[in-house]
Amino acid sequence: MNKWKQRIENILTQHLELPSDVILELPRITTIGQIHAYIENHKGLILFSESELRLRMKDGYLRITGENFVLKMMLPEEILLEGKIKELAFIEG
Amino acid sequence: MKHTQAIFFTGSVKIKVTGHHPELFFGLCAREGITVWNVIKINETQCIGNVRLSDISTIKRLRRQTVYKLSFLSRKGFPFLIQRVLHKKPFVAGLLLSILFVTFLSNIVWDIEVENVPPEVEAKIIEKLDEYGIHPGAVKFTIGTPGDIQQRLLDDLPELLWVGVTEKGTTYQLEAVEKTIVEEPEQSGPRNLVAAKKGVIVDMFVAKGLPLVEVNDFVTPGQVLVSGNLNENQGEQEDDEEKQDKPKNFVAAEGEVIAETWYEVETTVPLKANYQTLTGENETKFKLQIGKMKIPVWGFKKVDYEQVYKETTRKPLYFLHWTLPISIVEEQWNEQAPYNEKRSRKKVRSEAVKQATKQLQTELGKDAEIAFQKVLHERIESGKVKLTLYFKAKEDITKNQPISQGD
Repeated sequence: MNKWKQRIENILTQHLELPSDVILELPRITTIGQIHAYIENHKGLILFSESELRLRMKDGYLRITGENFVLKMMLPEEILLEGKIKELAFIEG
Repeated sequence: MKHTQAIFFTGSVKIKVTGHHPELFFGLCAREGITVWNVIKINETQCIGNVRLSDISTIKRLRRQTVYKLSFLSRKGFPFLIQRVLHKKPFVAGLLLSILFVTFLSNIVWDIEVENVPPEVEAKIIEKLDEYGIHPGAVKFTIGTPGDIQQRLLDDLPELLWVGVTEKGTTYQLEAVEKTIVEEPEQSGPRNLVAAKKGVIVDMFVAKGLPLVEVNDFVTPGQVLVSGNLNENQGEQEDDEEKQDKPKNFVAAEGEVIAETWYEVETTVPLKANYQTLTGENETKFKLQIGKMKIPVWGFKKVDYEQVYKETTRKPLYFLHWTLPISIVEEQWNEQAPYNEKRSRKKVRSEAVKQATKQLQTELGKDAEIAFQKVLHERIESGKVKLTLYFKAKEDITKNQPISQGD
């Protein structure tokens, strides 16, 4: 069942050119240089500190590390992060 | 950032969350639809963030389900500003008083300017205005409308031809035009007095000239009544030589010749009369009008007149030079009574005589003496009575006629 769903979703994004983030429920991350990161479609906050932000995704989580982190804005599925971003990692699990 | 732009008006609160993984509390808030901004983690157990004032109750409810401790650090925005200001009672009182004071001052007459008139008329106008209660320092809404003032001034000062009153904020500007009385230049040339109408002379008063008619003479229009040529009678009898010697003696004849004249006047009087009269009963109500809403201030009594004639005067309030949407409305409810009259023939006749006399009097001028003689003809036509009336009048029938001397 789950496999079918995934296949249909893949077909939809590839052939109908629908935005993949919406169909596949994946986060869309926009960064402006090192200073801003705008994360949409995340599934929840796991951890936040001055040097690390962890967000839940559909599978696994997203880890952003850096310095002087401030959450400029938090909305239900969006987060605007400000600070000095050093690393962005997708961790499956 | 647009989510936090209007925050000044709604007010925002900086909160501090204490507990294990405090950022998760903000995550919870965000999931509940609460906007959180500027979140900083200051140490392992403390986290600071900003939320809207309106979300505080939701946050408190959420906190009760968790183990976090919540403390409020600072309040920003308009609601708090207001609160802070309102806490300073003397300041608020002063502000209110000053607004009231300015409103009060805006509704006072500060100045009266009279333009375009000589000083003595200006003084008279100002004196009259003072009598009406219009002087610097008077409260504006006790004063009538500019139209009223205009009319009263014109009635009271006969030397004024026209007055324009304009209300400019707290200043009344008056512009007046004085009557210039042009005296008719006396016609000094020799002239006769001739009859303008036919009639029987009843009285004569000749100041200058030679009367050619006598009392009880019947005269026709154009007939010379008083001659300006003083030699007329003698000249006929004496020889031509003597006449040439004598200087021609012409004067401007002057005098009054009262004659009895006759008039036929036709009038129409309806048998039935319907009109509205005011009974004199009235109620005055004062209302405060704010926008379109009217709040009664004085006179709550229900007016139970059958027919009402309502007079409404609106007086706006001012704040500096702005007209406030607030005005004082004075309503005068006058009782009206329909008046139906069915006239008898006799009454119709007396009404007709009254009407015709009036008509004739305006035609002949106020010096004429009019006496009703009799009804010549009377007939009823579609509810109206047509009458032909016969009048006798005594009036001055003289008319000036210059004498051409033929040089």
